[in-house]
Amino acid sequence: MSRILRIELRRSAAIGAVLILVLAGAVLLYAAPKRWAPGWMSLAMIQREYLVLLWPLALAAGAWQARREHRSNVAELFASTARPRAQRMVPALGAMGVAAACAYLAVAAVAAPWIIDTARYLPATAFVVVAVGALAMVAAAWLGLAVGRLLPSLITAPALAVAGIGLLMVIPAATRSREWLALVFSPMYGMGQYTDYQTVYGRVSAAQAVWLVALAAAAAVLLASGDWRTRVAALLPAVLGAGLAIMIIPRNDEFVSNPVDPVAQEQVCADGSPRVCVSRVHSGLLPEAAPLARQALEMLAKLPNPPTTVHEDTTTFYPDTSPPRQADVVLMSISVDKDGHLARKAEILPRMLFNAGADMSGCDDSWNLAVSRAAGYWLMGREPGPDYFQASPEENAEAAKLWQGLRSLPEQEAAARVGAVRRAALACEKLDGLLTASAR
Amino acid sequence: MMRTVSAAETAPTTHPWVVHTEGLRVRAGRHLAVDGLDLALGIGVHGLLGPNGAGKTTLMRALATVVKPAGGRLTLLGEQVDGRSDLRRVRRALGYLPQQFGFYPRFTVREFVEYMAWLKEMPKTAVPGAVQRAIDRVGLTAKANARMKTLSGGMLRRAGIAQAIVNDPEVLLLDEPTVGLDPEQRLDFREMLRDLSVDSCVLVSTHLVEDVVAACTDVVMINEGRLVYQGTPNDLTAQGGQGDAGDSPAERGYSALLRRHRAGAGR
Amino acid sequence: MRWLTLYLRSRRVPIALAAAAGCTAAMWSLWSVSSNAREVGVPMVILTVLLLVASVTATLAGPDEALDRTAALPWPPLRAAHLLAALAVVVVLLLATLITGARFGPAWLVIRDAVGLLGLTALGAVTIGASRSWFLPLGWTLASVVFTLSGTTTSAIITWQVQDPGNKPAAVTAALLGVGGLIAYAAAGPARRAPAEAAL
Repeated sequence: MSRILRIELRRSAAIGAVLILVLAGAVLLYAAPKRWAPGWMSLAMIQREYLVLLWPLALAAGAWQARREHRSNVAELFASTARPRAQRMVPALGAMGVAAACAYLAVAAVAAPWIIDTARYLPATAFVVVAVGALAMVAAAWLGLAVGRLLPSLITAPALAVAGIGLLMVIPAATRSREWLALVFSPMYGMGQYTDYQTVYGRVSAAQAVWLVALAAAAAVLLASGDWRTRVAALLPAVLGAGLAIMIIPRNDEFVSNPVDPVAQEQVCADGSPRVCVSRVHSGLLPEAAPLARQALEMLAKLPNPPTTVHEDTTTFYPDTSPPRQADVVLMSISVDKDGHLARKAEILPRMLFNAGADMSGCDDSWNLAVSRAAGYWLMGREPGPDYFQASPEENAEAAKLWQGLRSLPEQEAAARVGAVRRAALACEKLDGLLTASAR
Repeated sequence: MMRTVSAAETAPTTHPWVVHTEGLRVRAGRHLAVDGLDLALGIGVHGLLGPNGAGKTTLMRALATVVKPAGGRLTLLGEQVDGRSDLRRVRRALGYLPQQFGFYPRFTVREFVEYMAWLKEMPKTAVPGAVQRAIDRVGLTAKANARMKTLSGGMLRRAGIAQAIVNDPEVLLLDEPTVGLDPEQRLDFREMLRDLSVDSCVLVSTHLVEDVVAACTDVVMINEGRLVYQGTPNDLTAQGGQGDAGDSPAERGYSALLRRHRAGAGR
Repeated sequence: MRWLTLYLRSRRVPIALAAAAGCTAAMWSLWSVSSNAREVGVPMVILTVLLLVASVTATLAGPDEALDRTAALPWPPLRAAHLLAALAVVVVLLLATLITGARFGPAWLVIRDAVGLLGLTALGAVTIGASRSWFLPLGWTLASVVFTLSGTTTSAIITWQVQDPGNKPAAVTAALLGVGGLIAYAAAGPARRAPAEAAL
């Protein structure tokens, strides 16, 4: 059997399918590297999202391979041989299955060098996510083989691909009220990268794997079937698998949409002092982030009771998580650029020093944009200018006025006033007028 | 090169005939192509002659267990072939070359013969040697690693013969095996048939009466699905006279038999 | 007339027409059942055009190219006519739905995509054979449907199938593909593929 499998790998559509799938996957991934540059989990999940194209192509590849027996007129010759049809289909199943899975893994391997020096956090879940994706490809190839053998016309492969992509695009809409149902049946769902800390729960992956294995088994039975009774019996593993998957996956109240990985959010600190920590998933960016953070802390050292540590701002909105607010910690928000390195470097310092390094996200209405900006720019020693806030000219003029006022004061007095702004911000008190009134 | 012979093969056979049909009826589409055929074939090379549409190919298909008989009895190697029986044991000892030989164009000759050996459930260890032997016997050793789509018509036919003989079958069915072979290759083919006649039952369906006379131990003639004549080639030749159509004595004998059968059927 | 009938049968046109009509009917029913809107969603329109082009792909080559080429007939005008007739079939089938409850439009989108995809298919038939010529149109169109880019000229050219009907770069791309495919197919014909059993 292994010799025959090797012959099939060489001579069937397996090699062509691998080349086309890897090309398609590589083009898709490298067309928008910003989506998956943050880390290994991002890569694994975005690649799963691109199954929306790879899965139909695998279906078409299987259907194309299945035409071979019909195209070559071997039916009469093979009918006189001893081996039962089920065993005869095994090498084709093996070759196309290996091709589909290897193509998926190869796409991941082609993308890996892009982030290999900056991505540090490699959880086991990433391997699980990739494995489920490869399993989905195998199920698609086998399903294509089965349907292609039933309908060996030239139009089967394109029609199957269109049906496949239609199905994948319709599942989320059809199961809108029950998102967990979409998660079971659609291998590309639930992979949205809303933050850099996304993950996939183990139970979800288990449920998806159960369904995909059942689908693959049903396809194999359908391929090996000779009469309509066996073909109908092929539905049985699919139904059983669907039922089992639905039982495994967290449903209704237990269901969490787009969960966040707390381990990825844990702070990992650089050597030396003062302490600079970023989240574990961004730990490869520490060499780039630490100098900027330490620069900010230096600038804040002029204030009374200056902060001593910088942590990354790991706030997420879905679900709602935020780091605990501490008085001597400055929060730094980190995002990853399309080549895996720190993004928007020019903005990091202004953002950190905004509000003299105090985080006011929990406060409701004590905001004062001009005061906060003026304080931040005074610490940096620069004039308020166009920055990420995209302030209107009036707001900019107001901040510039306050900044000029601070500059005209002696160093200690200015520092005291900015310190007062910081204290008020930390306590969620109103900031108005703190820079113009004399500090106590 | 010798191959090991299993005990089962040297055991005495319990069936009198290798191929035995009684009143066999086989349909080809709607038409009853084989209509009440009584045939008994033993070890040796049997040539199958008959006009087009006589049912030769349908008979070969039925003997190859590709189509189920519509009536009558068909016994291959002592096993009765009907809708219910498990045919694996018979098929393992079967070799078949169809008239329309379908193949996988991208496979090489060696790979295709190996694939057919696997399909015939040959023991794994015996396959490489058997494949090489079969390829050598048909004279394709130089082309063994060429893809089948690059072969010419005659070589393709020889590759078909190779896959039919790879499992040293006890029943070998060849439908038009010499199509496309040049005269020298036909001589080699006759030599191979004589080799095979020692321990297999070979049924060769062909239009070339010369091949039948030269290589076959027995001639079977069928017309309109019924048996017309079964006997040695010499007896076939003796049936003909100067008045019959044909360029050789054997052809004259063939025309004579056919004429008599048609006249008899018209009665 | 007799010749035309035989030619169509040799290219398996009746089956292709039935498949095209069946696909249109299936997509039409799918939309009618699942949605109340009269206008069919653009992705579905594009995928339907793709399916119809794929159905007529098989007719671009006969079973034995070598035999066809020995004919004394002038093939280029015939091949061009065949391709244009295929385009007409695709366009007519879809424009016919404009009077029904599920409208596959806008008309210009259907025509543009049919011209471009058929031209691309014809180019494929000339280079890699008619049976494989649906590879590139399928892959390209699926990718465009999923990842719709717009804005710059380059992105409009890359995802021309999904651009608005008024988009100029997309129209130019489709026209180039269509005309190029027509000329190449009429001049060169489908790639030679030997029948499975070599000459006997």
